[in-house]
Parts: sequence; structure tokens; C-alpha cells
Amino acid sequence: MATNKFEEIKSVIESKFEDSILGFDIKGGRIMLKVNARASHEVLSLLKDLGFDHLSDVTGIDYIRDGEFEIVYHLWSHARKIRAMLKVRISREAPILKSIADLWPGAQIHERENYELLGIDFEGNPDLSPLFLENWEEIPPLRKDFDTREFVKRKYHDDK
Amino acid sequence: MSKVTRLPIRPKAEAAADSLWVINYFTACGFLELFSWVGSGYDMERFGILPVATPRHADVLIVAGYVTEKAVSRIKRIYDQMPSPKYVMALGSCPMTGGMYWDSYSTIKRIDKYIPVDLWIIGCPPKPENIGKAIVMAREAIKGGFGGH
Repeated sequence: MATNKFEEIKSVIESKFEDSILGFDIKGGRIMLKVNARASHEVLSLLKDLGFDHLSDVTGIDYIRDGEFEIVYHLWSHARKIRAMLKVRISREAPILKSIADLWPGAQIHERENYELLGIDFEGNPDLSPLFLENWEEIPPLRKDFDTREFVKRKYHDDK
Repeated sequence: MSKVTRLPIRPKAEAAADSLWVINYFTACGFLELFSWVGSGYDMERFGILPVATPRHADVLIVAGYVTEKAVSRIKRIYDQMPSPKYVMALGSCPMTGGMYWDSYSTIKRIDKYIPVDLWIIGCPPKPENIGKAIVMAREAIKGGFGGH
């Protein structure tokens, strides 16, 4: 019974986005889906239509060795009572992705945070102004090539 | 006709020390220890200390907890709005050392680089008894002529 509800979603997604799906997995009671960056907005739109009406979080991970950022969308379906994760990889050189603020308005602030702390641009987001940092002039602080220790030493601990 | 006894007029500093109004800037666990002073347990109103809602009524600014780079500009603004003479207390290790965020990119390490700090209550967080001792010390200093800023 439990697997059936996953299978149904799997068949719907795979029939529509055969070329864009890079991986489909069911782990720990949740769907883990990897898709192409180009198709991410359409797949998320489809997932919303399939009943995943709640967007819990949008997180970003810096895979510096692969030269890529990974964006993870966490979704929850109130009707189906299952979770879904959608992972998208984009290159570090041109980190730009289509915004999903038009699907879930709550995504706006998650994307704004990702833009500020990782420097991932979300095309179509209405407001990407700084959220937590003030007068920030360095590279985004949660990037792996940002040397926090060196920055703190330079800014705070080198007493005159 | 009964004789009217007139109370001696108290010096200004001494009177001020008996009614210190406090504006709090709290971000962390330090306030949990100060609760018992605000409440009936230790009861800081016995010392004439009253928490107020606006910096324009306050004599003392208490900064407790971690201060981020963004928050410090707000603290400066609170400090600037307070009328003179004004006093600043830093409560706990966090605002004066950075605490466990000593290598964080967004937490300031020493609040006294931004506003003058008159009294630092050490501890992580300080016990209510230490806060009481600091209050008594502050009152003594003000009665002794310490003019603040």
C-alpha cells in the first residue's frame, strides 16, 4: 500500500519528464528526485499539482570539488502524507536558476537567503536584497572558498 | 502646632542612583538570568530599577547576548537616543568576547569598540547574584560621582 502511492507519483513524473529526470529514489519514506536545472520549475509545478502543496525549505549546498551548487527543495503533501526532495545541480560559474516564488510565495525568502549566503541567483524573484548581512563586501560567506577564519582575524582580532 | 521636619535635599547623583531606568537589549540566554531580577524573586525595584519601553526614558542600557553586525547599528541607535547621563552594562561573555562565535563572520567580538561600556558582568551566562552585585556596584559608582556619558 505504502509503495503504491510512491509508484503512482513516479509513473506520472517519468512519463512527463523522461529526459530530465536524473534519479528517482524512495528513501526513508520520502521521494528523492534529481532533475536537470532546466526542467526544475516544470517538475516542481507538476509536483504541486500532484498534491505537494507545502514547501518546507529551499537549501543550497556548495559542492566545490564538483564545481557545482546543489539546490534542494523540501516538499510535503498534506493529502498524501509524504515528503519529497527535489535536487538540482547548477554550475558554480553561472549559478542561476528559475525562481519558484510564483508557485509557492514562501519560496521568495528562502531564495533571498540562498542568494545572500551562497550567491545563487534566482531568476524572477521579486526581491533579492540583503537579508541578514549589512555592508557585506566579501564573497558570499557560506561558500566553501570563503575563509571565515582569515576574515574574522582580519576584521575583528587584529587589534591595533 | 507640631514641628515640621524638613528632609535634607539629596545631591543629584545620589537621587539618580536610586532610580535607574533600564532599557534592555537582549538576544540570548543572559536575559533568562535577569528575569529573576525583573520578577519578584530578586526584585530589582527594591533598588529603584525599572525596565522601560523606550530608550528616551532610560538611564542604563543593558546589552546581553551575541550581537551581530546588523544588530550593532541598532544598538548604537538606541544608545544615541538615550539622554545623558547614560550608562552601559554588558551582560555575559557574549557581547564582549564573541563567545562561541569568536570565529563567526557576522558576530561582533567586542561591543566596547562600538559604544562605551561602563560595566561588564562576566559569566556564561552570569548568575542572578552577579547581576545583583553589579547593580550595587553601579549604584555606588554613581553615588560616588561617576557621571556616565
